[in-house]
Amino acid sequence: MAHIVLDKASVELAVYNSRGRALKHELFRRTVGGGVEDRRDSSVQVVKALREVSFEARDGDRIGLIGGNGAGKTTLLRVLSRVYPPTGGRAEIDGRVSSLIDLSMGMDTDATGYENIIMRGVMLGLHRKQAEAITQDVEEFSELGEFLDLPIRTYSSGMMLRLAFAVSTAVQPDILILDEVIGVGDAAFAERAELRMHNMITNANIVFLASHSDETIKRFCNRTLWMKSGSLMADGTPEEVLAAYHADAHHAAGE
Amino acid sequence: MRFIALGSADVTGGFSSWRMWWMLAKNDVARRYRRSRIGQLWLTLSMAVTVLGMGLVYSLLFNTPIASYLPHVGVGLVLWGMIAGIMTESCLSFTENENIMRQIALPRFTYLLRTIARNLLVFGHNLIILPIVFVACGTAINANMFLFLPGLLLVLANLAWVGYLLAILSARFRDIPQIIQSLIQVAFFVSPVVFKPTQLPPNHPVLILNPFASMLDVMREPLLGNLPSLTAYAILLGLLIGGWLVSLAFAGKYSHRVVYWL
Repeated sequence: MAHIVLDKASVELAVYNSRGRALKHELFRRTVGGGVEDRRDSSVQVVKALREVSFEARDGDRIGLIGGNGAGKTTLLRVLSRVYPPTGGRAEIDGRVSSLIDLSMGMDTDATGYENIIMRGVMLGLHRKQAEAITQDVEEFSELGEFLDLPIRTYSSGMMLRLAFAVSTAVQPDILILDEVIGVGDAAFAERAELRMHNMITNANIVFLASHSDETIKRFCNRTLWMKSGSLMADGTPEEVLAAYHADAHHAAGE
Repeated sequence: MRFIALGSADVTGGFSSWRMWWMLAKNDVARRYRRSRIGQLWLTLSMAVTVLGMGLVYSLLFNTPIASYLPHVGVGLVLWGMIAGIMTESCLSFTENENIMRQIALPRFTYLLRTIARNLLVFGHNLIILPIVFVACGTAINANMFLFLPGLLLVLANLAWVGYLLAILSARFRDIPQIIQSLIQVAFFVSPVVFKPTQLPPNHPVLILNPFASMLDVMREPLLGNLPSLTAYAILLGLLIGGWLVSLAFAGKYSHRVVYWL
C-alpha cells in the first residue's frame, strides 16, 4: 500500500549569492548597513519552484511528469521523495520511497565494489544482513566479476554506471521516483537493464517518471502531470495531457 | 515548545538511524587506511611527536619536572584534538553530505552523529599514546579513572548541541567554518592545555568563563588520578540543559530548511 496526497504544496527556494551566504555581510547589513541601501545588492532571490500543487496518487498509478526545463519537475520529485519539505501546504507520503535521480549517490571511490554495495544498501534503509543478501544479485546483474574486489576509482565510467544501476535497482520500493528512464552500458547490458527497470516499474505501487520523451511517457505511464513554471497545468491520461502540452508549446513558439 | 518537540524528533530520529552514521563514520576512518598501511596511525604518530616535543620544551619553560608535565600536556592535547575536531568538523556535517541529503530523507541529526562518531574513532586511536606516557612517567592511576567516562559523555553531549547549531548555521552562512576555526585557535591558547590550571589563581575567569577549561577538567583529571572540580561539572550541566533547549528550538525552527540551503 502506498498513498500520496499533495494539498497546495508550495516550495519557495531562497537563492543566495556569495554575499548573502556570508555572515559578515549579513551582520553588516543588519547593523551599520541599514541607512545605505545598495540597489545592486539583491543578495537573496526567492524562486517559487512549486506553486500550490495538489493531487492524489494511489496504488497502480504510473505517473509521467512533463514540462519544459525549469518547470519544477525535479523539485516536485524531491518533494515526493521527502527530501524537500514543502514551505507551504501539505505533502503526505505513505510508503517506502526510492529515488533514482542520482545513481552514484554516496559512493566512495576509494572503497571496493563490494564495500560500496553494502554502503549503498544501508543507505537504502537495509540492515547489514539484508545488504549482504543483495550482494549476490548485484554481482550477477552487473557482471563485474572480480572487479568488485577493486576500488571503484579504477572502474571505467561504463563499469561505474553498471554498478550504480545494479545497486540502486536491487531494492524494490513502494514508490519509485525516476528522472528519465535510465539507459546504461553496451547493447547487451542495456537490454537487461531495461528489463530490470521494467520489472521495477511493474512491481512498484506508485511510479513517478519525469521525461522529455513522449514515447517513454506513453509506454510506461497511465497518468500524466504537466508542470509549467511551478504550477500543475493538467492532470489526466498521457494522450490528452501530451496533446495539451504540445499545443501550448506550439503556441508559445508561434508567437 | 512546538519547535523543541520538532527538534527532539529530529535528534531521536538521528539516533535511531545509527546503522547509517556508524557505517559512514567507520568508512571515513577506513579511507585513511586504504592507501597506506598504518592509515590513521600516521596522525596518531604526529600527535605523539607533538606531545613529546611540547612536553620537552614547555617543561623547561615552566620549570616543572617532565615526569609531572608530560602526562598533563599529553592528555590535554589528545582531548583537545577531539574537542577541536568535533567543533570544526560539525560545521561541515551538512555541507559534506549534500549529495546524500538531496536524495534521501533522513533526520538531519544523523549527519552530525557521523561527524561525532568519526572523531571518537580517531580519538580512540590517539588514546594509545596515553598509557605509554603514563608508564614512561610513572604516573599513578587510581579509581578516579572511572570518572573519565561520565566526563566524556558530559562533554560529548555538550559538543553535540553546539555542533548541531553550527552545522545548521554553516549551511546558511558559508563563512562560519572559517570563523570557528579561528576561534578554536584562540581557545587553544586560553584553555589549560599547555599550561596547568594550577598556574593560575584559583577560580580565575579563564577557568570559569571558558567552558573548554571545564571540559578538559572533567576528562583530564580522572585520567591523571585526581578528582575534577565540582564547579566544572556544574558549569557543564548548566550549559547542557540551557544549550540543548536553545539548540532544539533553533533546529525545530530551521533544520528542515537546511536542504534548501545546500
